[in-house]
Amino acid sequence: MSGTFLFRLGLTLVILQAFAAVFAPWIAPYDPNAQDILARMGGPTVEHWLGTDNFGRDTLARALFGYRTLFAISAASVLGALLCGGGLGIAAAWRGGWADTVTMRLMDILFAFPIILLAIGIVAVLGPGAVSTSIAIGVVYLPIFARTLRAPTLLLKEAEYVVASRAVGAGEWRLVLRHLLPNLAPVILVQTSLSLSTAILVEASLSFLGLGTQPPTASLGRMLAESRSFLSLSPWPAVFAGVAILLAALGFNLLGDGLQDRLDPRLRQH
Amino acid sequence: MTHSLLRRIGQLLLVTFGVSVLAFLLIHLIPGDAAELILGAEDRSPEALAALRADLGLDRSLFAQYVIWAGHVLQGDLGHSISTGRPVLEEIAGRIGVTLELTLLSMLAAIALAIPAGCLMAVLRGSAADALTRLLTIIGITMPGFWLGTMLLYGAGAIAPGVPLIGWVPFSVDPVGNLQRMILPVIALALPVLAGLARVLRASMQEVLFADFIRVARAKGLSEARVIFRHALSNALIPFITSAGILAGYLFGGSVVIEQVFALPGLGRLMVGAIAERNYPLLQAALLLATTAFVLVNFVVDVLYMAADPRTR
Amino acid sequence: MQRIALIGIAALLPLAAAAQTLEIAVDQSPAGLDPHVATAFSSAQITSAVYEGLTGIDKDLRVIPALAESWEISPDGLSYTFTLRAGASFHNGRAVTPVDIVANLERVRDAKTASPIASRFAGIKTIEAVGSNQVKLTLGEPSAPLLGQLAVLAIVAPEAAADLARKPVGTGAFKLKEWVPDTYILLEKNPTYWAKGLPYLDAAKFNIVPDAATRQIGMAGGTYRLAPAIDAATAAALKDKPGLKVLEAQDLAYALIGVNASKPPFDKPEVREAMNMAIDRGQLVQAAYFGRAVVGGPLSPALAAWTLPNSTFPCYTPNAAGAKAKLAAAGVAMPLKITINVLGSVKQVVDNAQVVQAQLNKAGFEVSLNVQELGKFVADWRASNFEVFASLNGGGIDPDDYFGRTFATGGATNVFKYSNPDLDTLMNQARAETNPSKRKTEYDAVQKTLACSGPVATLAYGTLFTAVSDKVEGFVPVATRSMWYLRETKLSK
Repeated sequence: MSGTFLFRLGLTLVILQAFAAVFAPWIAPYDPNAQDILARMGGPTVEHWLGTDNFGRDTLARALFGYRTLFAISAASVLGALLCGGGLGIAAAWRGGWADTVTMRLMDILFAFPIILLAIGIVAVLGPGAVSTSIAIGVVYLPIFARTLRAPTLLLKEAEYVVASRAVGAGEWRLVLRHLLPNLAPVILVQTSLSLSTAILVEASLSFLGLGTQPPTASLGRMLAESRSFLSLSPWPAVFAGVAILLAALGFNLLGDGLQDRLDPRLRQH
Repeated sequence: MTHSLLRRIGQLLLVTFGVSVLAFLLIHLIPGDAAELILGAEDRSPEALAALRADLGLDRSLFAQYVIWAGHVLQGDLGHSISTGRPVLEEIAGRIGVTLELTLLSMLAAIALAIPAGCLMAVLRGSAADALTRLLTIIGITMPGFWLGTMLLYGAGAIAPGVPLIGWVPFSVDPVGNLQRMILPVIALALPVLAGLARVLRASMQEVLFADFIRVARAKGLSEARVIFRHALSNALIPFITSAGILAGYLFGGSVVIEQVFALPGLGRLMVGAIAERNYPLLQAALLLATTAFVLVNFVVDVLYMAADPRTR
Repeated sequence: MQRIALIGIAALLPLAAAAQTLEIAVDQSPAGLDPHVATAFSSAQITSAVYEGLTGIDKDLRVIPALAESWEISPDGLSYTFTLRAGASFHNGRAVTPVDIVANLERVRDAKTASPIASRFAGIKTIEAVGSNQVKLTLGEPSAPLLGQLAVLAIVAPEAAADLARKPVGTGAFKLKEWVPDTYILLEKNPTYWAKGLPYLDAAKFNIVPDAATRQIGMAGGTYRLAPAIDAATAAALKDKPGLKVLEAQDLAYALIGVNASKPPFDKPEVREAMNMAIDRGQLVQAAYFGRAVVGGPLSPALAAWTLPNSTFPCYTPNAAGAKAKLAAAGVAMPLKITINVLGSVKQVVDNAQVVQAQLNKAGFEVSLNVQELGKFVADWRASNFEVFASLNGGGIDPDDYFGRTFATGGATNVFKYSNPDLDTLMNQARAETNPSKRKTEYDAVQKTLACSGPVATLAYGTLFTAVSDKVEGFVPVATRSMWYLRETKLSK
């Protein structure tokens, strides 16, 4: 089945790239920050598989370390948003009433800001760097997780078995842990995977605009921005940085898509 | 219905108020201020700085500044741009057209192409075609616009030398030149939306194609084209339109980056520039307008849903 | 398919709207066009085509007559009499009178104008109109830089002063026709310009194109015909393109690493020397400037009469081991951890910082970069809230003016909090010295002190690159980034 193939493709992409990110220091052929002016702006060669940039730094090494930055920031921000935003959404739905209204209106306020502008503003306030970029993207995703998890929680809250458990005196925490979370797991998995895919694009956009990690730390978005002005002299860093960003986002999107197919019984029939 | 509508309006006002507070805080918490930037390198005396701050009203407490600003906004006065001295509404009015044109053209292009693409993909069956179309749409969805834009910029010179594809001219001055220069930005901005919409349409088309009334139509001997375009498509369009509405918001956000890449003088570039120069009145007004528009659109969608589906009341 | 369609559209279009409009691509919108208030490069490159001062600066950085056709200096150097150009008038049609010049100087010095250049004219004691076409300035003490500084004082029509930022009224070869904010500024020929036959162009359109890559493609594709002040990478990419040439001028602006001399560890002269020795300026020029910059000391190589050869600065010989020895002598623990604030809005500065970081890390330092956007950088810079910073500095065309402002104790732009009483004495002597060779000897000593243990490690003087189409004739870039020569520019078919 085609879904299986794409799911496997996504999984493979994610695993390969995560492997590259984690083991970059051991598999990178060069120090990503080592400058070699004599070898600068070279095309792909035996020594430099993906060419070199304007300082003669190895594009492959920088791309591998760039994955590290990209994955670390995207994962930190999405997990943060999942815990905080998702937690708020579930709590709001579970409690209902005023808590629900207040929480969701707060989320509406955040959600009203254009994603990139909100992130730019937060980074400007906190000062650039990996931590503030993670926080900025995390805040942007708060309302998304809150909304995504609130809706199914509302349904599950009224589900017969939950109502029944409550009737026999099951504690709130027990209900949440034993019944709610396992049932929310598919939604959480799918949403996390899809959010990682878009968070990767947001991180890349921010570092493209010069608001990501500090140089010389390798970052794929910054790599693209920096190489734009000498693109006609040497297109390689820009081309490969873009391909790397695309593959990273693609992997998680295929994964999320495949998970959705597998976990959402409504779609399984096709 | 009336009661819940009133409640929604109350919430809308509350959210708008919250948005204005958050926008104000966010902007004023950014370190460094307009007075320091204006004086820059030439005059570092504390007296000059204090005088300029007082002149710009930056010497008051944040709370006082917010109250003064909000008071003026409620009277319809959004203030003057710090850098040019023009009313901010004038500045915004001069820019919003570019952003609206970009997003509107992108939306039209995406919809116009997504309908045939989605129908085609729905008809193509079999696992290989299925995998291929899904892969292509997902690649489209995840395509980084700023990268695609950069590649298009460089490719354009080679594909169509001599055609003015970059920069910007007002539509009123040179309509054809204006549209020519919109081609590349629209491609870069529209592709993810096109892919997303095509995917939604394909899914809903496939669902519809299994429905009984389609079997009936086929059984009646109607041509396949008529079945697809006349019967299936019209029934599959509802989720498509909903998605298009959601993606309009994405287009507006995405135009911030695309305007940077293609040097288009739109609202996004205005706002990014205003952050850099700490142009508080301009930034506050632009953010307030953009977010309020977004909240309003959502409100209208909500109300329409309420009207259509009694359960959500 | 798409290609055919595009070419089809192109064929339907007339090629160019106006034959003699020069399409110029500049990187940022001017903050305003009031030349007494907006003095940044972004404004100056446009105001220099709209306004003129009494004097001008030519391509060799010599003072030339502009709105004043001649001047006389009294033997004691205390009074200057300028004779105004016959037939000079403002863009509103009114003839320029000596009273206008007086009003301009008063406007700049008025605290309400908040002019950043006011301090440059503080030494003028009186100014008066003499007859129908002369102006007389009296100084408290002789000032060598005065004539050059007067080139900065653009003469505006006093009656238009209230709205100059948006509606400039000057005497220059071009006047404002249309300004679409953040999009373009269209200047048209001033038909009543005093120099007969000039300008040649009918119009000059300054397109605001913030992105370097877009400017580059626009130049290569012929959308723009002139792009001033492009970066080295863009220049390298454009110089071999057919139909284009890249003009070069030695830039007065220089790249620097500045330190806070009032705080450890850079309060120790040895640490500042160590930093200078650790930097390999030759390699930096190759790496960050594509070889197109000049290594120089505290004064720009453009000021040939004053500058000392780099060989007179011992710390300019890269010496990582020597740097470590200096650090050890200063008694600081190695690696010495420092943070450099980097002006993020200028790509050249970010490139420089990355190269310097790599070099310093090999010589006993451990450098982190803190790339800041403009607003935060300026705020920290003004408040001397930095350990080290990397930036570009405007430099100056006269040592008196530049050294005093930058390095004297309490100087207007001495953000380094550098204070060296011996150097202050030396600079005061030099400013008042009338014997040229003695003055030169004193400034030699100042340069030697500043080069190695001053608060600034001068990295390189960049080249000012201007890309022009082969169709553009007569344009000459000036290191001050003035567009003076736009009046002599022609566009061939």
